[in-house]
Formats: sequence, structure tokens, C-alpha cells
Amino acid sequence: MSTYGLSSGRLLGRARDHFDWALFLCAALLAVVGVVNLYSATSVVRASLAEMYIQQIYWLVVGGILATVVAAIDYRHYERFGYALYAFGVVLLVLVFILGRDIRGSSRWIYIGSFSLQPSEFMKLFLIIALAKHLHDDPKSEGRTLVDLIVPILLTIVPLLLILLQPDLGTALILGLIFLTVSALTRLQRKSLYWLLGGGLLVGGGGGAVISPIIWQNVLKEYQRQRITAYLNPESNIQGINWHAHNARVAIGNGGWTGQGFMRGTQNQYLFLPDQYSDFPFPVFAEDWGFFGSIVLVALYGFLVLWSIRVAATSKDRFGAVLSIGVGALIFWHAFFNLGMATGLLPVVGVTLPLFSYGGSSIVTVMMGIGLLMNVSMRRFYVSPGRASRLGGL
Amino acid sequence: MSDLLVPRSDVGEFRKRYRWLALFAFLAFLAIVIRLFQLQVVHGRDFAETALENVIRRVTLPTTRGIIRDAQGKVLASSRPSYNVYLVPGRVLPSARPHKRGAPIAPEPDTYPRIADTLRLNPDERSRLAQRMATACTTDEDRSPCWRPILVREDLPRDIVAELKQHQTELAGAEVTPSPVRYYPYKSLGAHLIGYTAEIDAEALARFRPQGYDALNADGRAKANPLGYENGDVLGATGVEHAWESYLRGQRGWEKRVVDARGRYRTGPEADRLIESPARQEPIPGRDLRLTVDIELTQAVEKAMRVHPAGAAVVVDVRTGRLLALYSKPDFDPNDLSGGGGRERVRQSWAKLSTDPLHPLLDKTISGSFQPGSTFKPFSALAALEDRVIDPEETVRCDGVVYFGRQPWHCTHVHGKVGMHDAISESCNIYFAKVAEAAGMDRIAKVAQDFGFGTKTGLGTNPEAPGRITTRSWYALRYRGQFRVGFTLNTAIGQGATTVTPLQLALAYAALANGGTLYLPQIVRAVETSDGGVVQDFPPRVHHKVTIRPENLSRVTEALWGVVNEPKGTAFAVRDAALDVAGKTGTAQTGFVAHEGDDPKKAWYESRDHAWFAAYSPSKDPEIAVVVLIEHGGSGPTQAAPVALQIVREYGRLAAARAGHPIEPQKRAASSKP
Repeated sequence: MSTYGLSSGRLLGRARDHFDWALFLCAALLAVVGVVNLYSATSVVRASLAEMYIQQIYWLVVGGILATVVAAIDYRHYERFGYALYAFGVVLLVLVFILGRDIRGSSRWIYIGSFSLQPSEFMKLFLIIALAKHLHDDPKSEGRTLVDLIVPILLTIVPLLLILLQPDLGTALILGLIFLTVSALTRLQRKSLYWLLGGGLLVGGGGGAVISPIIWQNVLKEYQRQRITAYLNPESNIQGINWHAHNARVAIGNGGWTGQGFMRGTQNQYLFLPDQYSDFPFPVFAEDWGFFGSIVLVALYGFLVLWSIRVAATSKDRFGAVLSIGVGALIFWHAFFNLGMATGLLPVVGVTLPLFSYGGSSIVTVMMGIGLLMNVSMRRFYVSPGRASRLGGL
Repeated sequence: MSDLLVPRSDVGEFRKRYRWLALFAFLAFLAIVIRLFQLQVVHGRDFAETALENVIRRVTLPTTRGIIRDAQGKVLASSRPSYNVYLVPGRVLPSARPHKRGAPIAPEPDTYPRIADTLRLNPDERSRLAQRMATACTTDEDRSPCWRPILVREDLPRDIVAELKQHQTELAGAEVTPSPVRYYPYKSLGAHLIGYTAEIDAEALARFRPQGYDALNADGRAKANPLGYENGDVLGATGVEHAWESYLRGQRGWEKRVVDARGRYRTGPEADRLIESPARQEPIPGRDLRLTVDIELTQAVEKAMRVHPAGAAVVVDVRTGRLLALYSKPDFDPNDLSGGGGRERVRQSWAKLSTDPLHPLLDKTISGSFQPGSTFKPFSALAALEDRVIDPEETVRCDGVVYFGRQPWHCTHVHGKVGMHDAISESCNIYFAKVAEAAGMDRIAKVAQDFGFGTKTGLGTNPEAPGRITTRSWYALRYRGQFRVGFTLNTAIGQGATTVTPLQLALAYAALANGGTLYLPQIVRAVETSDGGVVQDFPPRVHHKVTIRPENLSRVTEALWGVVNEPKGTAFAVRDAALDVAGKTGTAQTGFVAHEGDDPKKAWYESRDHAWFAAYSPSKDPEIAVVVLIEHGGSGPTQAAPVALQIVREYGRLAAARAGHPIEPQKRAASSKP
């Protein structure tokens, strides 16, 4: 125990020794491929948009610096300030309503000078930290009851509702899924689980039957309704609401085994892929690089997610473990939903592809998340090397 | 710092879950990979095809419609470019467009005000158009009407076109597209004969492109729509333009172009590699037509008829049946109906022409049938002569009136004792009453039909009236068996139910003149390529030889000479001694019955008789037959005959003027002997 008195010199020394090269290389590779793909995606449009990849590089540099800082500070400091960070995030979300400007029917940004900040993105990290802190402070040797889940649910539901009000369905969905993933990590009492499942089925099934028409009519907006019907009938109305999704699929299919070649995908080059830099960067990639390129990309995301589970498994404390799983969940759900909607497996929900989609807040959030992962990974040998190696074999 | 040295919390609770989470993530990504395999490998080829279809557009290459020339090579119909201006709302008025979320685009400046100035839009048009474009731009999705060009001006004057082209860069969003418009340099001259072109209407389009047309294969399409009509195509509506459409039209070509989602064409090696061969099919230009018509002679006809409001004239070469002039009055300017000056002008011209009481759109040379009056008498006479039911030397006493029962029947004058010769040249109705009595209606009908009356001539340019030659059975059907002698009398003098078209009459007189050969009327002399080569040359075609004995024919033609050249002849008063003409005047009662409340001026006009003159010249070895009809002209000798004589005079003058350098001498020599 005395071996890890935290002087800064020793901390940095350890960090260098235990630097997680696999994590770094995987993330760096994704970032580089992402910028290259963004270059291809935006090369066809007007000059102002064609500069996007440079902007993206700036954000990656900023994200890289922030990630280094995040990784350098021992994550147990975040545990200490967990709720404060969470509160800060919630305040930012409230500020959106006061300072935000309405763009296309939703207000998501706070403007500081020429910068625009999307607090909902950062909220994902703050929520992960808050959930981690709660579970860290509340160890249970036996199964948890439903009562034990009240605090995590509250922690999730407050920002989730605020984000739904913006409205930003995609981000809210990701927050909910992060919560569910983290919950799946804990051990529930069998009785509670049955209650949860039974109650869920009852409320979900019975209530859903009653409420869903009401939600359909009153809560969902017209474009959301259209997206769902479009998802259910993918090849209908190709000229209209299904145009985006249809052409995304055509682009992916057009890639074939080996792809059309860098910057040669016709669907993208001839403007059949709208939102190619934000929500649909993957079809551009799949069209340029084909099936082989695509499985490499999916494998990179898969590796990143599985690696985060490995980092969680080797973590010496509950905070680090939940943190890693949270960041892993963030990357997983983003990647899964984005790829799923691009390939037509899932309905169109505005969810970005980590490190591929253009956007400062999104890039910085993912980079800081990877910084957190690195942080936990670098500090996994605190107890004893022997035990760590046993745990490490996932 | 030291408060960080808390004991590590227990991580055992989570340990069993990692594997499950990892398995879940693995399966989720596996699902994505399987889906990718399905899209890219299993269906990759289909999607690649769809992707290619997305960017390749078959652009049709326009063909040029053939030129129509007259016998002397003067251009009667050709095509000229007209320039139409389209505005793309999203590019002309970027400020009206919503802007994409998060996209850092500085909107381009509006070019609309400058464009509106250049196009000389008035303030009203300007605001209305701006409104329309703003409405189109409620969304700026790639397929929104915001990017669809709006037609703003048609057939712009050249100076504005030049201005637009010169300032192209500052006037972004204004597109000037040339589109061919049919051009008729002689305007209304020969309009009925040449015809006009019009945009294909929905009905015709549905006929050429029936339901399921797009699903047909190439052969099926070619069968249903051999000329490849498409929406917006121009086709010949009347006249030669209509009848010879398949020659004039030409065949469109196509070219594969690479196009992006906004409909813009892309070029360069990157785009070109997508185009598979065959990349292009050249258009085939339409064939040119050489007509038999002489536009200068037509001009002379028009001049000769200048004082008359309505009528028709036909000049035909008696040796070939070739039509030298077909003229119908009043006429119209085909330029107004063929799209020059824009759709609005077409609509207005239509409205005006279709309500004109003198029917300017009707081709009276073949679509109108009229009672021939006395011009029909030679055929009645031939009927009587041919069957020897009358002795031509025997005379009949004309007192100016004859009674059938108590019904008086008047002649034009008191002619005294007349034989057949004088009866024709002086146009005595009383004599022809005797002819009618002797020959009977069916004999007259037989001869008339032999000369081509009562059936369509088959010219084909415009809807043709067959005319009517009455027979006993026709009257029996019509009047329920009550046949009266008066019917036959009317028939013999070209009155009653007998009607002919001016063209029929001209061809019949040509047959009288040339010794009994009835020709098929010919309007197109040759089909030519655009560089003047002859594709097809049409020789004259004989319909048949009439079965009339030469001595009878010459008896009648002598009488026709007498009409003009004997002092008692009906046309002697207006004759020109310098012209060698034989012919027959006609004054046909129109059977007009005035009703109460009729416009008195109109009633007066319509109650007047039609004036005819049917002639040929020279009387020995004739070249041309001329028929002139002056609708409601009043009297054949005084109204129609001078016009016909003027035409003959002009024909002679033109022939003399051209004698130095006759056009197509070898062809004419070859075909002049039928």
C-alpha cells in the first residue's frame, strides 16, 4: 500500500511505464482514418464545407490535449468531484435554454464568442462520472434491490429530460443506454430483477399499447413519425422521406468487395449522400473502401469497445471499472446506432459516428472519454502486479 | 493527497458481467458485419447498378426539322433558334433559402434584382416572380422545387440574350436555353398548304405513349411510337408539315452525361470513366422537302385576290397534276401558331383565329366544298354527248324562264335559240334543263365521278372534303322516294345538293384541257437531304383516263374557248386579248335564308352568290388550269374571272422571266410528258 504515495513525479513515471499503446494506437488510427474520410466526404461540396477536415484536425488536436490532461490527473480526483462535475453539466444544459439559439427547430448549442458548445455531448461524460461515483460509494456484497437503483435513475433522468426538451432524441437515447449498460454491470437481486422485468413488461406492454398511439399522435414530431414509417418500409417513397436512407444503402452496396477507391465513390462525389459529414460519414467510407475496408473499421470500433471492457476488468476499484464501462458504452452505442442506421438495420436517429462525424463537441467528448480510459488503464497496477495479471486475462 | 489513500472498493460485484457485455458488443458488431456482407457482397452488384443509374442520364440530342422549299428553291419553312430564360430560385434568390444546420456557409448574394432589370420585368411581374420563387424555396433539399428552373421568358430578343450571356457570372441562376422554333419567311402566304407546327397535346401523346409504354422494350416502343414523341415535342399540325411529318421530323439522338443529385452536369476524366459505351447516338436530321408549289405565283394569286375577303384559288399543271399554287383566304400567320414569340402569343392567335366568321383556319381549297354552279355544265354536257341523248346542233329556245308545272325556273338572260356551244359559252340554264331531261341524273353523275368529283383527291395535307355528286338513289334516300325533275335540273347546272372542292374542279378542268387524263394532285416534288441531294423524286401519277370520246371533249373545250373569246361568251367582257384562255364562269346560289335578327350586313354578304371561274391556258396545248372561287363574290364573270385572268397573266410573266434559267430543267423535261 505504501508504494503508491502520490507524488507527481512518481505518477508520471508510472504513466510512462504503463502507457496503453493498444488503446492509443486504435484511437489514433480511427482519428486519422476519420479525417481522411471527412476529406473525401467534403471534397465535393462548396469551398466553405471543403475546409471542414482542417477544422476537424483542429478539434482533434484540442481533444488530444484535453485527453492528455484528463489522463494525467489521477481519476480518483474525478471521483472526489464527481457530483460537482455532474451539477456543472446540468447547469450548462439549463443554460442552453437561456442562451441557445433555435436552429432547425431545436436549440442545442451555447455560443461563446465564435465557438459553439454542445453541452449535451459533455453531459454524457459527466453522467458516466456521476454514475461511477454513486456505484463506487455504494458497494453491495449481495444483490441490489429496486430501491438501490433510484439514485442512478434520478441521475440519468434529469439530464435526459433536459435534452429531450431541446429536443435531441439521439443524445437522450445514448444517455439512457449508458445508464442501462452501467446497470447491467451491477448485480440485482433475483426478486428485484423479476419485479423489474415483470413490471417492465406490464408497463411496457400494457401501458405501451395505450400510450404509444398517444405518443405517436402528440409527442412525436412529424419528421420522427416519418422516420419510423420509413424504417418499417425501407424501399417505399425513395424519392421522398426514404431518400437519405436509400442512397446511404446504395452507397454502401456500391462499395462491393474492395470499394470504388478513395474519393471515387459516385454516390458521395455526385451529392447523393446528404449529411455525409455529420450523420452519414460511414456510407462514404464504405463506398470508397468496400467490404474489406468496412470490416477493418468495424473491427477497430469493436476492439476499442472490447478493450474498454478489459480496462474495466483490470481496474482496481469500482469507480475506474464503471468509468471504463461507461466510456465503452458511449463509444459502442454511438458506433452501433450510427452503423445500424446507415446500413438500414435501425431507424434514422441523429447519432454521430465517434471520430468520424464532423463536430467539435462530439470529437472533444470522445477524445476526453478515451483520455479517461487511458487514465484508468495506466493506473491498473496499484495493488499488486500479480493480481492484475490474473484479472487482465479477459 | 493523503485522502486519496482510501482502501480500494470491491470490484467483485462486476466481475461476472464483463464477459456478457463483451459478448453482447461482439454480437452487435457481428450483426453489422453480416449486414455489410449482405449489402456489399450479396447485393453489391445491384446497388452498383443503382448507383450508376443515379449519375448517368441519357440526354436527348435534338434533331433539326427539315426545311420546306418551293419549286424554285425558296425557303417556305425552316427552323430558327429561340432563346428561353429559366431561373433557378435557389441560385437566384439564396436569401430566400433556409440554411442547413451547422453548415458554415456564407449565403451568396441575390442576383435576382439584376436579372429582373436585364429581362425588363415590370414591377408587378417582378414581385410576383419573387413570391413564386420564395414559395419554391421553403426547403432546400436536393430535390426541392428550389432547384427546379422556372420558365420566365420565351423567345427573347437578341439584345437581351447577348446581355445575359455577357454578364453570365454576375447573373448566376439565369439559364438561357436555345430551342428551335419553326419559322415561315412568307408568313401567311401559302399557310394552309404549308401548315404549322404545334407542341404535342396530351391526347396525341397518350396515343403514342399508351399506358405501360415505359415498361416496353425497345421494339415495343418503336412500334407504338415510331417517331419517338415525347412530352413537349413539336409536330406538324396541318398542311405539309403534318402530312410529311415522318420525313420532316428527323430522329433524335442521345448522349450519356454524368449528372449529380442536383441535376448539374459533371465533366472531366473522373466523370467520363463512368460512361459506358455506346456513349452517344448521333441525331439524324429531318429530310427537306421540295414542293411543286411556286411561292411567287402564290404571291401573285394573293395579290389578285386582294380585294376579296374570302375565297380560294388553285393553279395546277395540266400536264402533270402538280399543284403550282393553292391559296385559301382569309389566311393566318403560321409563325403565330408555331411557338415563335412564346406560348402566350399562340394562345391569343388561336383565340382570334378560331372565332373569325370567315374561318381563316379552314383550307378552302380542299376542306371546303361548294356548289360549283355553271362551272359544272361542261360535265353535264359531256354526259349527254357521250350517250348521244342530245344532238349538239339542235337548238333550244330560251325565253329567260321555263315553267315546270306552275314553278317558274329562270335563266340568266333571254338567250333566244341556243345550241350546245352557245349554251355553254353563254351559260344558258334553259338549254341545260333540256340536257338534264335528256341525260338524267345518273348519267351526269357517272361522268362527274369519272372526272374525280365526289371522292377525295388524296392530297393529304389537310382534312379533305369529298364533295357530293348526287344520284337518283341519293335523292331517293334523302327525300323518301319523292324524286322530282327539278333535282336533275339543279344537278345539271351545279346547284342543289351538288358540291365540289376547288381542287377537284381544277383537276377536272385539267383533265378537260389535257385530253382526258385525270392526275393525282401532287404537292411534294422531291425529298432531299439537308445538303441538297435528292432522296426520292416523285414522278406525276395518273389517276385514270376518263372515258370520253375525243370529239365530244373537243366540242366542249371549243365552247370553253368561246366563253372567253366569243363576243357573247360570259367572260368576254373581262378578257385580255393577250391571254389565250379557255374557261367557264359560275355563279352559284348559296341557298342562304336570312333569319330575323341577323346582322343585316352579314346577311347581305352571305346571301350573295359564290363567284367561280374555272379555266385553263393556253387553250391550245394547255399548261395550267386555274380555278378561282370568290365566296359570296356575287357574280362569276365580273368577280372571279378577272382574278383568274390575272393569275394566268402572272404565270406567263413568271415563265418568261425564268426562261433564261429554268430551274431543274432535266427533271422537268423528263416528267413533262405524262
